[in-house]
Amino acid sequence: MGKIIEIENLVKRYKDLIALDHLNLSVEEGEIFGLLGPNGSGKTTAINCILALLYFDKGSVKVMGKEMQPDNYEIKKQIGVVLQNVAVFEELTVQENIDYFCGLYIQDKKLRKQYVEEAIVFSGLEDFRKFYPKKLSGGLLRRLNIACGIAHKPRLIIMDEPTVAVDPQSRNRILEGIQKLNQEGATIIYTSHYMEEVEQICSRIAILDKGHCVALGTKEELKSMIKTGEKIHIEISELQEIQMEEIRELHHVYQVDYREGMLEIRCSGGKHNLVHILDYLGRQEISFGRVYAELPTLNDVFLEITGKELRDSAEKTL
Amino acid sequence: MFFRLYRYSLMRTMRQKITIFWNLIFPILLGTLFQIAFGNYTDKTIMFHQIPVAYVEGEEADENFTMLLDTLETENELIQVQSVEEKEAERLLEEDKVKGIFYNGRILETGGKREEKEKVKTEEEGLEIFLTVKEEGISQSILSIILEQFERTRATFTRIGKENPAAIQEAAKVLEEECQYLKEGSVMDTPANSVTDYFYSLIAMHCLMGATIGLMSATEFKANLNPLGTRRVVTGTRRFGILLPDLAANITIQFFYMLFFIGYLTYVLDVHLGDRWGLLLLTVLMGDILGIVLGFLIGVLGKLRYNVKEGLCIMIMMVSSFFSGLMMAGMLRVVETYAPFFNRINPAALIVRALYSLNIYDTYDQYIRCMGNMLLLILILGGGAFGLVRRERYASI
Repeated sequence: MGKIIEIENLVKRYKDLIALDHLNLSVEEGEIFGLLGPNGSGKTTAINCILALLYFDKGSVKVMGKEMQPDNYEIKKQIGVVLQNVAVFEELTVQENIDYFCGLYIQDKKLRKQYVEEAIVFSGLEDFRKFYPKKLSGGLLRRLNIACGIAHKPRLIIMDEPTVAVDPQSRNRILEGIQKLNQEGATIIYTSHYMEEVEQICSRIAILDKGHCVALGTKEELKSMIKTGEKIHIEISELQEIQMEEIRELHHVYQVDYREGMLEIRCSGGKHNLVHILDYLGRQEISFGRVYAELPTLNDVFLEITGKELRDSAEKTL
Repeated sequence: MFFRLYRYSLMRTMRQKITIFWNLIFPILLGTLFQIAFGNYTDKTIMFHQIPVAYVEGEEADENFTMLLDTLETENELIQVQSVEEKEAERLLEEDKVKGIFYNGRILETGGKREEKEKVKTEEEGLEIFLTVKEEGISQSILSIILEQFERTRATFTRIGKENPAAIQEAAKVLEEECQYLKEGSVMDTPANSVTDYFYSLIAMHCLMGATIGLMSATEFKANLNPLGTRRVVTGTRRFGILLPDLAANITIQFFYMLFFIGYLTYVLDVHLGDRWGLLLLTVLMGDILGIVLGFLIGVLGKLRYNVKEGLCIMIMMVSSFFSGLMMAGMLRVVETYAPFFNRINPAALIVRALYSLNIYDTYDQYIRCMGNMLLLILILGGGAFGLVRRERYASI
């Protein structure tokens, strides 16, 4: 499989703000490529440059081996776009909307009819085909947005945060659908600031921050880039400073935090870390409640690389 | 693909309630209000007739003015002149047998109304031709315009004679063309009805209301204004392939609304818009296209918010309609006197003048000139708009 997208040294400025700072990326055909980063990291700007919507200051963007231009219609015909904002006609029904957008790519009436039907089934909108968009719930509207972008069975699908403000049920359905599209042969670029989604579906991930690609690889490769191998959380009602120091001295432990009755210990790999810690607590006769251990997430990767959380607290509430 | 997109575009526009209100219902309401306000006035008062005017000639009278009055009476049938003595003229005016008195030259009699006026005018402006009227009205305004026009032409020639005598021949040629322009439209049987002019202006305003539909199309085509624009310009269809069905559908809908409106004016309100239906419909079709293209151009210009652009469209529509006489009778003539070029580029004025010339003149010269100007405007505005969106990329979205 060759490269379907190649971005080299891409620089995009908005006056004094550098949105993309010598960005280098390539996407292999057949993969689900995740673009992960906080708001303002340059994900959408990168997408808009790929689609030849934005001027950029420097660098090059090649799609399917050709320099991307606004009038490169042969390439555009093979791309499907699902935008962050819902882009459907309020005056057309669900079926009419999908047919309209599919028809911008597919001229054959019979084939188009088949594709439209498949897109309706794919997005679970069978019961809503005669509905106008304003009658749909947020989740259904997002599904319609996706159906309009993928109905023509594109070779490359670009999805820019398609699950923003979507209920969990719709979100799961959307993510399963994306994996299905990929299995059917589509290459997918998926941007999000929801790390769980990216972890769940993407085969390769690029983490963007301030227009830079700060890390690139599979989720396993990304996690191996950081020190954290395991995070252990233990509920303890009281812990003295000296005891924290002693825990910090344990093998493989490199960071200990104690806040509001919760002890968080970060270990840099190694085995039986939890056993060693519980053993220490037992010896010190420190009583404890719930205990759980977890592997590092992409948020930990982002935190270690950039020194900040991937999602701010406001986003977490979404 | 064109017809499929055209059909969808028709469906979308027809389902927009706001468009139905502003482009179909609102003009009908306005037309009804016009008819309620002017209906009787039209029937009984304003039916055009020659304006009776008294003419008092004194010493050193300007022969050119005498000739002008003669022409307006015999050829244009605009006025009905009675040459009388000053006292008699005043009596006629007092008894409402004439609408005004034209004084030409120095009058020897004293004690009349003119004496006082002459004193003021001759000292301040050195003029020898005057008009006296008893009250304000449309007939009096027409008499006043005749005098103003004459004075303006005479002043122009005097100035050219002083400053550049060589150019006077060229100026005479221009004047001759203007005269020809007046003469060519020998008035048809249709009564010249100044209230019909209001309805012409209303039709022109309706045409320009198409700007709001054109604006919507532009907004849905610009990636930096609307997500729909983004979705549409990233597709594998050429931009014009998407745009043209949209504009064609807009024109169809607007023209359909216009047909309904004209039908309502003609058959319900009984407004006489003339007998040349084919050309009348061609005129409003051109007007509709002009309105839509104007709105489309405003839509694709810059990154202003939709509401701001909509406000701009409405402002242009109202200003254009105002200067075409929607709110004030005779505005078109005033503009023609002081800023004739504006009448050549004002879309509403072009539509009104084209409709007026169809109804009044039996020749097509003025009509063709107006239609030509409209076509030129459409090409310029449309060309500019298409140039802006062709291969467009954005600095920011």
